[in-house]
Amino acid sequence: MAAFAIAVAAVAAICGCRVNRPRNDHAATQTLYDSMVSDPGTFNPVLITDSASAVAIGDMFESLTRVNPRTTLFEPGLARSWEFSDGDQTLTFHLRHDVKWSDGAPFTARDVLFTMRVIYDPKIPNSMVSAMMIDGKPIAASAPDDYTVVVRMPRPFAPILSSMQFAILPAHVLAGAYEAGRFNRTWGIDTPPDRLIGLGAFLMTRYVPAQLIAYRRNSDYWMRDEQGAPLPRLKGEVHLIVPDQNAQYLQFQSGMTDVYHPRPEEVWPLEQAAKRLNITVAKVGIDTGSLFFAFNRNPRHYVHDGVADPRYQWFTDVNFMRALAHAVDKQGMIDLCYRGLAVPAVSDVSPENKIYHNPNLKDYGYNLELAAQILDRAGYRMIRPGVRGDPEGRPLVFRLTTNTGVPVRDQMCAIFKQDLQKLGITVNYRPLDFITLVKALDLSFDWDCVLIGFTGAIEPNDASDFLRSSGNLHIWDPAQPKPATPWEAQIDHLMDEGTMVVDPYKRARYYWQIQQILHDQLPMIETVRAVTYVAYRNSLENYYPTVWGLYHPEWIEFRAR
Amino acid sequence: MNAPAATFRAENRAVAERRGWTAAVGREWRAAALTVKLSAILLLAFYVFAAASPLVAPYDPAQQWRTMPDCPPMRLHPAPPSEWSHGFLYAYPMRLDNPIARHYAEDRSRRTFVRLFYRGHLFTTAPDAPPFFLMGSENLGRDLFSRIVYGARVSMCIGLVGVAISFSLGIMVGAFSGLMGGFADSAIMRLCEIEMSLPSFYFLLALAAVIPSGLSTTATFFLIVAIMAFISWAGFARVIRGMAASVRSAPYVEAARALGGSRRRLLFRHIIPAVIGFAAVNASLSIPGYILGESALSLLGLGIQEPAASWGNLLSQAMDPQTIAYFPWILIPGLFISAAVMAFNFLGDHLRDRFDPSNAA
Repeated sequence: MAAFAIAVAAVAAICGCRVNRPRNDHAATQTLYDSMVSDPGTFNPVLITDSASAVAIGDMFESLTRVNPRTTLFEPGLARSWEFSDGDQTLTFHLRHDVKWSDGAPFTARDVLFTMRVIYDPKIPNSMVSAMMIDGKPIAASAPDDYTVVVRMPRPFAPILSSMQFAILPAHVLAGAYEAGRFNRTWGIDTPPDRLIGLGAFLMTRYVPAQLIAYRRNSDYWMRDEQGAPLPRLKGEVHLIVPDQNAQYLQFQSGMTDVYHPRPEEVWPLEQAAKRLNITVAKVGIDTGSLFFAFNRNPRHYVHDGVADPRYQWFTDVNFMRALAHAVDKQGMIDLCYRGLAVPAVSDVSPENKIYHNPNLKDYGYNLELAAQILDRAGYRMIRPGVRGDPEGRPLVFRLTTNTGVPVRDQMCAIFKQDLQKLGITVNYRPLDFITLVKALDLSFDWDCVLIGFTGAIEPNDASDFLRSSGNLHIWDPAQPKPATPWEAQIDHLMDEGTMVVDPYKRARYYWQIQQILHDQLPMIETVRAVTYVAYRNSLENYYPTVWGLYHPEWIEFRAR
Repeated sequence: MNAPAATFRAENRAVAERRGWTAAVGREWRAAALTVKLSAILLLAFYVFAAASPLVAPYDPAQQWRTMPDCPPMRLHPAPPSEWSHGFLYAYPMRLDNPIARHYAEDRSRRTFVRLFYRGHLFTTAPDAPPFFLMGSENLGRDLFSRIVYGARVSMCIGLVGVAISFSLGIMVGAFSGLMGGFADSAIMRLCEIEMSLPSFYFLLALAAVIPSGLSTTATFFLIVAIMAFISWAGFARVIRGMAASVRSAPYVEAARALGGSRRRLLFRHIIPAVIGFAAVNASLSIPGYILGESALSLLGLGIQEPAASWGNLLSQAMDPQTIAYFPWILIPGLFISAAVMAFNFLGDHLRDRFDPSNAA
């Protein structure tokens, strides 16, 4: 009843918005409004663990290098150039001379060294340190002068440019707090915005919890456009904090925000309304992450008192897994769950990762008859109508889970379950709330099959915690003391080899091979990748979204009327 | 006394009794307001749905037509007499002509005949023919009407089972407490109050979250009912206890006690019969709470799990205003919930008016 009332109210809200749409002054004030789903957890760039915080301070801080989202290659940032020497074991950054912190102090090599010291401090928990370890040892850095940073590696380490992509902290502001052991409590969300000293394109002016974060243009920003005019062109930015995506959608329609990332079912209505709302709906690209069914092959879950649960044998039997791979109706998932706005995923690396994605993998096509044949041949035969058994005659039953509250995942699980039912395999599906699910995956290992997604990165070594057998995110059997299978050992080896070659195009073949191994051994079955869209006001100029972020965001502006 | 006469008299008595029973129901029926009559008919229909789902539903509720998600309800047309051999009614199959918009068009070149009493269903289509969606299909291309019919099993039974549990628990504890008086009474009632002071919906959420995975749908269903009953018995027990305490000092109970009636005898022969009429009325009024509770849990994904249907989890698709705007038929399960809740309330009110002793004067 309550749900019904909410539903009616929501319909009324949609209709209401169509009738009176307030005029906004975003173009007149050159202020870009968009929305974010939750409040930030911290304003301290080193302590960030959540995406909302990353969005909140993303435009205030910068790193030595930046990635061109169109080419996925590195470009100069706070460092105007860099060079490798000494057999790729030394990397020298030459910093820009014209960069100033927002309090007027110059940006120097001291800031870079201070930030590295903070990240490597064991008392300061942060997510960056794992990417900055080479064979378990920190990277040594020194500053021969104020505008040069020299990084020495014990061996050639290809991901170094990606590792050095941390946001630089102002040493003159934070060193005192760090020396006093108060770093973990600095720059929390209760810090007055004018005390957050940044050097990015925008500076925070106001944070109202649960409502908005506002920014103004950094007039001392170092970038200039082709004519030498200062950047960024926008005078301000506002992130509205709107936890409910339906509300975000309505706000975009009513003109309160200028940019919106629609869900698949919203793309069509927005395209239809594009003219009336004066917006553009553009395809951004293919999701950079990976969404897959993982199967637990952790002996700690299955083997008790020397007796192995049969599921352990099934999930480690490559024939069983191949049959299941042929039972995933990817096209059905695309049509039903994504309105056709998705593509089948074959590799665990997105095709948007242009260099490291292996395009030669051949997908397991949806074919239930073939799946049944493979099962029959491998000894998994029907033991009674509608029930298939393993070679020892035990019925095939396992549990499937995912996190609650994501309708698309629910539907994908329902489709998979239905197809396995046709093969005679019983799946007990029950979604778990996110915390419970993470505990099952990380601590109790009490799960059989899970539909789960990982985000993707350009640097392939960033996935090392997932790919290496010793990794904590090696989801099917995490933190192995030594590789459980020969192919996992081979992946570990390829991960080592892949970091030794600096040229990305020469590196790629190691990662292509890893994708091939995962595709053949099937510890997890890839599903689909959404094709993402963005909708934005036609009055925005130079708005070039890509799946890896905005291209040249400093050039964005509202067209003068 | 000769045998035939005795037989005759016995038969006569049976006929008279039957007449008495039917006559009483008839009398009640004529005295009832129209809303009460409609409610009774509606509830009867829903329970027929639940009891005979495989017969009433045209399709297997889990069958997915993956090329027909969110298909609108189809219209029925009477077939001309020349085609009665195929069926008396037909519909035009729907074709998905824009998968992104999920826009359908009737395919006028073909017909799908809807056959009555065919293949063990009240009505259905031939197995190789395109499906007929009376109330449309939901987002996985499953027939919404079939799912509503099967969903009635959960949604209509959850109230009865739940009330049966909380009713028996509440009546036993309440009557016992009222009869005993003194310290036992205070202790039991304070426990009830503690239980009642728990924020019930959050308590329900917490309990539902710890249901182990891997349980069958039926087991999950009974666990959810048990959880909901466990939350609601205390309030019930308190009311019964109050009635029992007042009955305890009534002259006939005093008399029974003075004559040496045991505590058990007092409880089962005097106290419980005195409160059971009120309890029955109260129970019928608390059934809607269970239906709504289940739908709230299912809406949050903690109730009956896919692919099993309940009216609550069918409605969970309607949480998104987008979806309602484009596929309004997915609100139909909500109409069923409202109808059932309203019917139980009308019927319960009517029963209270008729049987509550405080209204007798």
